[in-house]
Amino acid sequence: MNPYLPVLIVLIFGLTLGAILSGLAAFLGPRNPRPEKIEPYECGVPTVTNANEKMSVKFYLTAILFILFDIETIFLYLWAKAFPQLGWFGVSEIMVFMVILVAGYIYVVKRGALEWD
Amino acid sequence: MGLTANEFTVQFIGTLIKFAIVAGIALNIPPVMVWAERRIPAMMQRRKGPNRVGIFQFRIYGLMQSLADTIKLIFKEEVVPEGAHKAFYHLAPVFAVFPAFLIAMAIPYGPDIQVFGYTVPLSVIHVDVGFLFIFAVSSLAVYGVTIAGWASNNKYSLLGALRASGQMISYEIPLGMSLIPIVLIYGSLDLNKIVEAQTHVWTWGVFLSPISFVLFLISMFAETNRAPFDLAEAEGELVAGFHTEYTSAKFAAFFLGEYVSMFVLSCLASTVFFGGWQVPFFDVRSLDEMFGFVGVGALVGFMSLLLKAAFFMWVYVWVRWTVPRFRYDQLMNLGWKYMIPLGLINVVVTAVILAAVRF
Amino acid sequence: MPDFSLLLTHGIFHILAALITVVSIFVVASKHPVKSAVFLVIDLFLLAAVYASLDSHFVAAIQVLVYAGAILVLFLFVIMLLNLQPEQLRGLKFSVIESGTLLISLIGLLIMIFTSFRGVQTGLGDGTLDVQAIEAAGGNTYVVAIKLLTSYIWPFELASILILLSIVAAIVIAKKDKKVLTSSPSGQS
Repeated sequence: MNPYLPVLIVLIFGLTLGAILSGLAAFLGPRNPRPEKIEPYECGVPTVTNANEKMSVKFYLTAILFILFDIETIFLYLWAKAFPQLGWFGVSEIMVFMVILVAGYIYVVKRGALEWD
Repeated sequence: MGLTANEFTVQFIGTLIKFAIVAGIALNIPPVMVWAERRIPAMMQRRKGPNRVGIFQFRIYGLMQSLADTIKLIFKEEVVPEGAHKAFYHLAPVFAVFPAFLIAMAIPYGPDIQVFGYTVPLSVIHVDVGFLFIFAVSSLAVYGVTIAGWASNNKYSLLGALRASGQMISYEIPLGMSLIPIVLIYGSLDLNKIVEAQTHVWTWGVFLSPISFVLFLISMFAETNRAPFDLAEAEGELVAGFHTEYTSAKFAAFFLGEYVSMFVLSCLASTVFFGGWQVPFFDVRSLDEMFGFVGVGALVGFMSLLLKAAFFMWVYVWVRWTVPRFRYDQLMNLGWKYMIPLGLINVVVTAVILAAVRF
Repeated sequence: MPDFSLLLTHGIFHILAALITVVSIFVVASKHPVKSAVFLVIDLFLLAAVYASLDSHFVAAIQVLVYAGAILVLFLFVIMLLNLQPEQLRGLKFSVIESGTLLISLIGLLIMIFTSFRGVQTGLGDGTLDVQAIEAAGGNTYVVAIKLLTSYIWPFELASILILLSIVAAIVIAKKDKKVLTSSPSGQS
């Protein structure tokens, strides 16, 4: 049996459950919206501006660095899987890989890209 | 590869049964955990906590409080904020729920059992890539949070969502790296094979790779946005974070997602570092022969795993009421400047030691 | 007796292909950029399902992990937070430098792909590896790992340099030098 058939079952289940929970309130709860009630919550103060404001660039930087280090982690997984067959050759391979990436990491730290001040 | 219709039916029904059991357990985790999360701190702080709600005169330590809370929550009015992106606002809870359930299915809950001549693995999803499947699915959990925060049209929600997703993606790297030494040591990505390799207590992951365990434990808290890393919903500054504008059953959906992912990560931690369904100094698979009944060993193994997972769930609550909340810069510093280098060093050192021992 | 799993796999592929086509059209046709991004997530997830149905478990996992899980998060961040309105997007154009960089990197990528796929000697036997052969050799992930770390060792090491370059580039773009920022107004005065 295809091992992903259970994935499909779970996906359908998860989506249904989410949809049920999402739709339940519409049927069970009361519904009487007033302008004050549906206002976005801002600690009781009238809403000032739209919530879509420009955010700190650090979040994007984190996301970019995450992609790169994520890919690195995947390579490490592949290497770990092949490690028993590769032996010392594998160790040397990953050392080269690591040294290059650690250079990048040191650059990141030195440039202060990880500072959240 | 070839499967007859008969075999297919048997496997399909087997899968459905396993799925129903796991889903049933996962769905019952949040109510029990909500109760536990009120009773345990009450115990720590020498007060009573919820102890009244029961069935007639049986109070059972107030366990029915969660049931009452759930019913109350579902029957509350749903308030959709003005200016929300409607479609995404309603979609976000769906995104928040399903990744946790998908991972729960990939964990081996017991040793393979023989039923009517078929070998049945006790995990619902059994794929070749093991760990990578779990990481792939858990990386999807970010969307529920991000979309919820953005679609609510609320500044607190947006900031909470950004913080939450930023910290989730940041701690995914140490989480991934902490498990590479495990793959090196046991030589497999398959969770069930890793559990089978941990027959003796001294071959448990926590003893063979203690640094991995520490890294995993810390990342576990950050991944689920739990205290001391619950900056995404820091009540003092962000009201409730990304689910500020969610009420009623949708709020319950976020709760469900959070508690199921806590349970899943607890199971994963016990599977990888504490021998999963193995019982110390004892082979559960020998129980089948001892009792002359198939499935006894699997049941004991299952209980063993649940017990270990329960311990980690308790640690979650324990830490929440012990360690104060971090600042966001401290959190990011810890992740990027300490845990990632430590993870890399851990990988290299493990590889060198293993190579020196084996080759 | 019919081979049910094979039948199922074929059926699933056709369903997936149809779904991907529909979702892809939604990606392009959506007015709102966030909608496009969410449809793209679904699209990439379905694409992973196609890989999975072809027994390429590793590629499927990576597809979800890297594309749906990481790169699209960045997309969403950028789209949500820059808050571009649909009409503002119309005026966006590639500059000469940008398109030049894009072209050069595309050519570089192609060269890398072609050089790495030319004349490969593997310990796993030449020619195509079918599903049975892969299973016999020790599973999909294992075969990919061995291939990558023996036959494709140069692309593998090159990938690390590529990642290094991307790290540097990301920081150069996102993190302006404080010296430059403070000196430029004083230089004008």
